[in-house]
Amino acid sequence: MGRPSLPFDSVLIANRGEIAVRIIRTLRELGLRSIVVYHEVDALAPAVALADEAIRITGRTPVAAYLDGDQILTVAKEAKAGALHPGYGFLSENASFARAVEAAGIVFVGPGVDAIELMGDKIRARAFVAKNGFPVAPSAIEEDAPSTFLQRARAIGAPLLVKPSAGGGGKGMRIVRDLDLLEDAVTEARSEGERYFGDGRLYIERFVERPRHIEVQVLGDAMGNVVHLYERECSVQRRFQKIIEETPSPGLTAEERERICATAAGIARAAGYRNAGTVEFIYGGGAFYFLEMNTRLQVEHPVTEMTTGLDLVAEQIKIAAGLPLEFNQAQVTSSGHSIEARLYAEAPDRDFAPTTGKVLALRYPEGDGVRIDSGIAQGQSITTAFDPMLAKIIVHAPSRDEAIVKAREAIANFVFLGCESNAAFLSRILGDDLFKAGAVHTGYLDENPAIATGGADDDAIMRQLLAVAALLTRPVRDAADAVPPLHARLQGWRN
Amino acid sequence: MYHRFDLDGKANGVWLSRLGNGYQLQVEGGWHGAVALAEDRPGQGHLTIDGERVPVAYALDGDVIHIHCGGRAYALHYVDPLAAFARAGDDSGLNVARAPMPGVVVAVKVAPGDEVLAGTVLMVIESMKLETSIRAPQDGIVEKIHVKAGDSFDRDALLATLLQENG
Repeated sequence: MGRPSLPFDSVLIANRGEIAVRIIRTLRELGLRSIVVYHEVDALAPAVALADEAIRITGRTPVAAYLDGDQILTVAKEAKAGALHPGYGFLSENASFARAVEAAGIVFVGPGVDAIELMGDKIRARAFVAKNGFPVAPSAIEEDAPSTFLQRARAIGAPLLVKPSAGGGGKGMRIVRDLDLLEDAVTEARSEGERYFGDGRLYIERFVERPRHIEVQVLGDAMGNVVHLYERECSVQRRFQKIIEETPSPGLTAEERERICATAAGIARAAGYRNAGTVEFIYGGGAFYFLEMNTRLQVEHPVTEMTTGLDLVAEQIKIAAGLPLEFNQAQVTSSGHSIEARLYAEAPDRDFAPTTGKVLALRYPEGDGVRIDSGIAQGQSITTAFDPMLAKIIVHAPSRDEAIVKAREAIANFVFLGCESNAAFLSRILGDDLFKAGAVHTGYLDENPAIATGGADDDAIMRQLLAVAALLTRPVRDAADAVPPLHARLQGWRN
Repeated sequence: MYHRFDLDGKANGVWLSRLGNGYQLQVEGGWHGAVALAEDRPGQGHLTIDGERVPVAYALDGDVIHIHCGGRAYALHYVDPLAAFARAGDDSGLNVARAPMPGVVVAVKVAPGDEVLAGTVLMVIESMKLETSIRAPQDGIVEKIHVKAGDSFDRDALLATLLQENG
C-alpha cells in the first residue's frame, strides 16, 4: 500500500500513555513526523522515547497540563505541527479546543466542531436522533406538559425509571415495575429531588432490565460517505468503566446486528459526521436505544481493527486530510472474533482501589493474533496522577471460544512486576461460565462480586512462591549455607 | 525460628537448608522438599520443586520479592525478624495513622502538640477523585505529621504519629 499524499507532514499528539504510542506507530507508517507533549511525570513513558519530538508541558497537576488547550496549542504552533490528534479523553471532545486548533491553521484529527457540540449535549443529541426517526428510549419529560406527565408515562408501559431532571449519581431514582405504584414513586422521587437538588422536576423513561452496552464504530469522510465497521460489546464494566470489550457481540442475532449497525450509520449520516465516531446503544429485551455518540477514537478501537483489518488512526488522518474513504460498506468485512482486556493499576479485591509502584519487570506476550497496546516502560513509576489504565491486551482468533483461550494465555504470559494490577481479575472474568456463555450485561460484575475477590491460591502455587522467595532472599540463603547439611537434615531443627 | 514472608497480609514461615549441593525448603506446619532456581537470564528462570519445572520471573525491591508464577504476579514481603521486633512496639498500633490507599494530601488539620480525641480529623486526602478524612485512631497528642499539603503517598504510608497521654 502506497503512502497517501497528505497536506501536512507532522502531527502533534495531545495525549499520553498507550494511545500516544498507538498513534505514533501509525504516523510512522504514514511517513509523518510525530510530536508529543508530556508532563514531567511522564518523562520515562514510552511515547516520549518513541516520538520524533517530545515537548514538555506544565500544569498545576499532571492532568491539568494535558487539559491545558492554550498551552498545547502554543506548543503545536511553535513546533509547526500540521495536524493535531487529540486521542481519547482530555481535550478530544472539547469543541472550543477543536475550534481554536482549526483557527490556528492546524488540522484537527476529528469531527467538525458542530458534530462535537451536537453530540456533547446529551439532551440535544437524543432529540436529534429521535427527530431523525432513530430509536431512543421512550420517555416522558415533565416540563414538556406537566398536566399530562403521568398519563404520558403510563403510555410508555412498565418497567419505568423515574428520575429527577436535575439528578445524578442515582439519587432519587425509582424503578417502577407495577404501574399502580407509579404515583407513589413519583411522589417519593420528587421529594428526594427537592431535597438533594432543590429541584422536584422529574423525567421518566423506559427501564431496560440487565441491559447490554453495544456500540458501533462509524467512519465518515468530507464527501459525505459514511460506513459502519460493525459493533463492539462493552457490557463488562465496573463503576461505568469498561474492562473487557469484544466484537462481534455474543448477544445479537445476525439480523439485530445488521439493524443496529445500519442505525448507527444512519445517525452519523444524518449528523453529517466526519472522521471516526462511535454510536453507543443500550440493548435489552430485543430492543435497542440510542445512548450517546462519542466523537473521537475509543479506547477499545483495536478489536474493530483486528476483525476488519483496518487501521482506524490511518483512516482518521486521511479523512482529516480531506481524502475520501477508499472503500464502501459492502467492502467492509468483519472476520473472526476479537477481545480486548484492559490492564489497570488497581486492586479488584480492595474495592478497585488504585495501586502504585514502579515497573520492575515487563515482558509482553507474543504470538499470532496477539497485540499489546502499552503505555508503560521498564523503570517508570505508576502513580495515581492519571487514569489507572496501563495497557490493553488484544487478541484475534477464528471463534469466540478460541479468542477467550488466547486472551487468557496472553494475560498469563504478560509479565508485569512492581505494581499490583487487575490481571488475575481479567483472567477470572474470561474463565467465568457466564462470560463464556456470553450472558453478560452492565450489572454482571456487580451481581457476581466473587469474581473481583477471587479464591485462595492453592498450596502448590504457595509452595512455589515461597521457594522462589526463599532462594532469592539473601539472609534466608545465608542461614542455610551457614548450617552444615547434616544438621539441616534433622527435621524441626531450631536455632 | 522460621523466616517470614507475608503475602496478602498473611504470614508464612519457611526454613531453607542445604541438601547435598542444593537446597531443601520446609514450610511451617507442612510441606518440605528439594528446591532449585536456575536463572535463564536476569529476572527470569525455572524453579525446580519436587522434580517439577516451573517457569518464573522475578524482581527484587528491597524486602519485597515480586514473582510472576502460574500466570500471575505476586508480591511477597520478607519480614526481617529484628525489624519486625523493633517495629512491634510503636509503629504498628493505634498511635499511627496510615494511608488506606494511595493519594494526595489536600489539607493538614492539626499540628504537632495538638491534643486530639479519637475520631478527630487529622488531615484530608484525595484518592480516586474522592476526598477522605484521616481521623485519629485514639485519643492522644499529635507527635509528628509526616506529610504536607500537596504531597502524594502510597498505600500504607505513615501519615501521622500520636503520643498516648497515658502511654
